[in-house]
Order: sequence, then structure tokens, then C-alpha cells
Amino acid sequence: MDTATHQSDEDILIQGLKSGNQSAFRKAVRLYTPGMLAVARFYLDHSAAEETVQDCWVTVIDAIQKFEGRSGLKTWLHRIVANRAKNHLRKAKREVSADFSETLDPELADRFAPNGRWATPPSLKINESAQALMENDALSDCLDQHLAALPETQRSALMLYEAHQHKSEDVCNILDVSASNLRVLLHRGRQKIFLMVETFQETGEC
Amino acid sequence: MLMCRDLARIASDYIDGELGPMDRVSVKMHLMMCGHCRTFIGNLRASVDLINAHSSQQVDEEFVRRIDERVTESLNARNSGNGNSD
Ligand SMILES: [Zn+2]
Repeated sequence: MDTATHQSDEDILIQGLKSGNQSAFRKAVRLYTPGMLAVARFYLDHSAAEETVQDCWVTVIDAIQKFEGRSGLKTWLHRIVANRAKNHLRKAKREVSADFSETLDPELADRFAPNGRWATPPSLKINESAQALMENDALSDCLDQHLAALPETQRSALMLYEAHQHKSEDVCNILDVSASNLRVLLHRGRQKIFLMVETFQETGEC
Repeated sequence: MLMCRDLARIASDYIDGELGPMDRVSVKMHLMMCGHCRTFIGNLRASVDLINAHSSQQVDEEFVRRIDERVTESLNARNSGNGNSD
């Protein structure tokens, strides 16, 4: 009886999926779809990404039988989505375009003097916790808008690394980018959010 | 010597602990002397926390329901295809 006590929630969920349990699928769909969409959006536009994620869930019904748990369920699902999305791209003969050449956001780069010191330094120190900041609906909406406006590649990198807590190696693997290019994507995305928060704190406007 | 602009370029690597030991020391030395860069790093960190805190989980409920439907359809099709005759 107590062999089951050492099972993690994920193991139980995987068992449910393997036995084709409907409520296990409902749970997994809610848990993993946001991350899967972030992966798909790295490669595809909104509607193609949604379609790909939907198709993936249908293939998971059979594919889960072969899942051995060497990677976590999340990473496994994200790889499936990435592979499908890449195939989709190949068929459409498109490629992901991203600029990895400049690490500094142009707007931030303009704030340094020629000697490399700050000409327009950060104006205010953020003292509140993220939780406290998020309670401000206007700021939370503004964050939504700015995340949505990021280039897909930057947003997907941020979502996977930050919000979905993947390790760098996993993100590189899933998105097919080098470690140094991932660093550029993360840094560029973060700077945009930094600039947004600064403007918001200064002006109260988005 | 590391200037503010150089620091801004590698600030995320510093925050994530991805810098080599030499660069890490240079950043720390710079931060001891430069209040602007301390504020910058602090605010960048706060921005990262904010991205973390931001749910990102908000996926269109309608979309999730469509997935449920397709999954249920496929599960049912599979189960009836098995012909459970024992
Ligand atoms: Zn400085």
C-alpha cells in the first residue's frame, strides 16, 4: 500500500494520462498549455501556434505511453511542441528571425554618455515587492501590454526561463538557440520591462 | 576598467550568476562605487521578479475548452475502437 506514498503529483498525473483518464488530461491541459503556447509562439503566429498546441495534445494521448520520465513532463511536452512548430515552419519555408547582435536596448543605450557613464541614470529605486506591484491593476495591465509587444523570440525566452522556470540548457534545447543568444534574448526582454516599470513609476502612465 | 554601459550590457548575466569570476569581481567593485548602477541592477532585478510574478498563465479559457473537447473526442474514439469484449 505505501509504495504509492513516494509518488510525486507529477507521477500520479502521468499515470492518469497513460491510462487515458479524462480528468488527468483536463488537469494537464490547464497546467501545461500556457508554457506550450509560449514555445509555439517562438516559431509561429498566434493562430498557427494555437493549432499546433491543440494537435500536440491529441498526439500526447498515444505518445505518453512511451514517456519514460527521463526529462520532466513539462520539458517533454515543450519539446514535442517545438518539434511540431519547427516542422510547420519548414513546410511554410519560413525562418525565425531575431537580432542577437546588440545586447543593449537602443533606448537604454541612449542613456549613456560617450565616456560610458550614465547620462540619464535610473530615476527611482523600486522598493516594493513584485507581489505588491502586481496589486496595482494599471501596472499589471501595462505589463501585459508590454510583454505582448515584445518580439516573440524575447517573450518566449522570458516565459520559459522566468515564468516556467526552465533551466538554460532546456530553453536552448527547446527553442534551438545557442546559450549566448538566449542570454541576449533574456537581457533584451528584461530591459524593455525595466524601462516600462520606470516610466510607469515616474508618470503613473503606461 | 568597467564602465556603467559595460555593466548594463552584462547585468542579466550578473543577476543570473552566469558571469565568470573575473567579471563578477569587476561588477562587484563597480557597484561598490556607483549608486546609479546599484539602482539599475536593483530595478532590473525587480523587473525580473515582476515577470516571474506575472501570471503568464492567463490562457484563453475558450481555447482550453476546445482542447478539452478534442482530447475527449480522441479518448472516446480510442476507447470504443478497443472493443472491450471481456
Ligand atoms: Zn555605474
